[in-house]
Amino acid sequence: MNSVITAEGLTKSFGRDRGVDSLHFEVAKGEVFGFLGPNGAGKSTTIRLLLGLYHPTAGRTTVLGRDPMHDAPVILRQTGYLPGDLALHPRLTGRQHIDFAAHVRSIDDKTVPDALVERFNVILDRPTRTLSKGNRQKIGIVLAFMHRPELLILDEPTSGLDPLMQSEFQQLVRETVADGRTVFLSSHELDEVQRIVDRVAIIKEGQLVVIDTVEGLRKAAPRTIEFRFPTNVDPQLFAAIAGVRVLNADGGHIALSLHGPVAPVLRAAADLDPIDIIARPADLDELFLTYYRDEPSEGSRSLLEGHAG
Amino acid sequence: MPADVSLLDLRLRRRLLIGYTLGMALYALVIVALYPEFKNATSLNDLTKHGSTAAALFGVTGSLTSPSGWLNANLYQNFLPLIMLLTTIGYGAACLAGQDEDGTLSLVTTLPIPRRSILVQKVAVLALQALALALVTMLCMIVGRGFDLTLPVSHLAGVSVGVALLGLDFGLLAIAVGSGTGSRGTALGVTAAVAAASFLISSLAPVVAWLRPAKYVSLFFWSVGNGQLAGGLTLPSAGVLLIVGMVLLAISAWTFGRLDLH
Repeated sequence: MNSVITAEGLTKSFGRDRGVDSLHFEVAKGEVFGFLGPNGAGKSTTIRLLLGLYHPTAGRTTVLGRDPMHDAPVILRQTGYLPGDLALHPRLTGRQHIDFAAHVRSIDDKTVPDALVERFNVILDRPTRTLSKGNRQKIGIVLAFMHRPELLILDEPTSGLDPLMQSEFQQLVRETVADGRTVFLSSHELDEVQRIVDRVAIIKEGQLVVIDTVEGLRKAAPRTIEFRFPTNVDPQLFAAIAGVRVLNADGGHIALSLHGPVAPVLRAAADLDPIDIIARPADLDELFLTYYRDEPSEGSRSLLEGHAG
Repeated sequence: MPADVSLLDLRLRRRLLIGYTLGMALYALVIVALYPEFKNATSLNDLTKHGSTAAALFGVTGSLTSPSGWLNANLYQNFLPLIMLLTTIGYGAACLAGQDEDGTLSLVTTLPIPRRSILVQKVAVLALQALALALVTMLCMIVGRGFDLTLPVSHLAGVSVGVALLGLDFGLLAIAVGSGTGSRGTALGVTAAVAAASFLISSLAPVVAWLRPAKYVSLFFWSVGNGQLAGGLTLPSAGVLLIVGMVLLAISAWTFGRLDLH
């Protein structure tokens, strides 16, 4: 893998407070890497470690082939960052923020920032304290993308944006990776992530619990199959099949959660002359919620651990 | 040398700096203009004749009616250092720890600017504010020559440098504490406490015998508390203030380099 980001045992602890613990992952050039987790899971801590803002307690990371602890300015020259809790100077305007960053980054040709301003209808000439969260976020998007960086690190990027602007932003991310550049996108919203990312890492309580492609996760997610039979059936007939868990059994109605191939279930059901079948597609939402809850089910945990890498 | 961070901070503090400087100038001009009314009021000297501790608490010692006594009592040993420290300690605590707490420092720290450069540019703004206050006050004192306040310009320049270095040193202390703890409140509290202790030691040392040896640890003593207005800023005094500043700058560079930023 031609890695833009690597993390090897990356750990950050804050005394008794949890930070992140022994993270291992790689982000390849040209991909959109989703970093998903509930609030407080360690997403922003990981990002600050990648940017050289935090000092790791243990482990190491490289970004664009360099160590953020020693070469942060070099990394930051080729990186665009949109923080999750973007703070702008309240009395300055969007234009003053953009001009400041452009000057530091030695951007003489304003074609790209001007195009971004127009694309996202950025309000430039009012103090940022008078702008809504969405309009401040648009300034953040321009600041992150204006120098056409090799790597974008985006923390909850569509926070506060209306649906139209969210869609425009997703299109911008697609154009960025189509251009061979890389996007690290952190979010706690599955919808935001699954529409545009190639691979997803899920972090919970400072630890990575799975890394896989969205398609891989979808395949691994449990499907639900419901049968209706003319007579009462013994749920054990299905519970004995590998990868099957009986969710509900009520006389001739039975609901199953299924991991793996469907054929053994269908063979067992066919012998019982079913009168109806309902099969729901893989439920990714349910899979993510499993990790967001305090007590993930044993079945889902063991399944996902098989995909962690 | 890049100055983007300096220019940004100057823009953010423009109104505050103008306000402090104009207010200081106005106060200094009033003090200057009042001098002819008081220069013959020798009864004022009774306040300090017998080493009054109360007068010393306000930084007042010696004759009050001489030009240097008048300006020490009303300006250089109390009001000017107070305004100077309000400005520099306030900025020192806000420029790294404060901006990090409110999140705006990340607008700078996530740009390709080395931390050392950020620090140096912030210290340059600190020095500029200290110099502006001291210089404007000095210019008002030069105007005072028309009001019988005849002090050598070299002495005025010396004490102005001393006050500016005093402000710079305490501002640097606030930066060092702020970047060591990441807390604006801690930086303000610790630095203000050290400044208050430093002022008291320097002010009371002439009238409290057991405090006398401690005056050498007070930065006030080295900048305004050792007759600098009457005799000028000596080289050792300037040296102490400069060395303390350089040590604090080195400590700040070390602590800021290790600070976890938001």
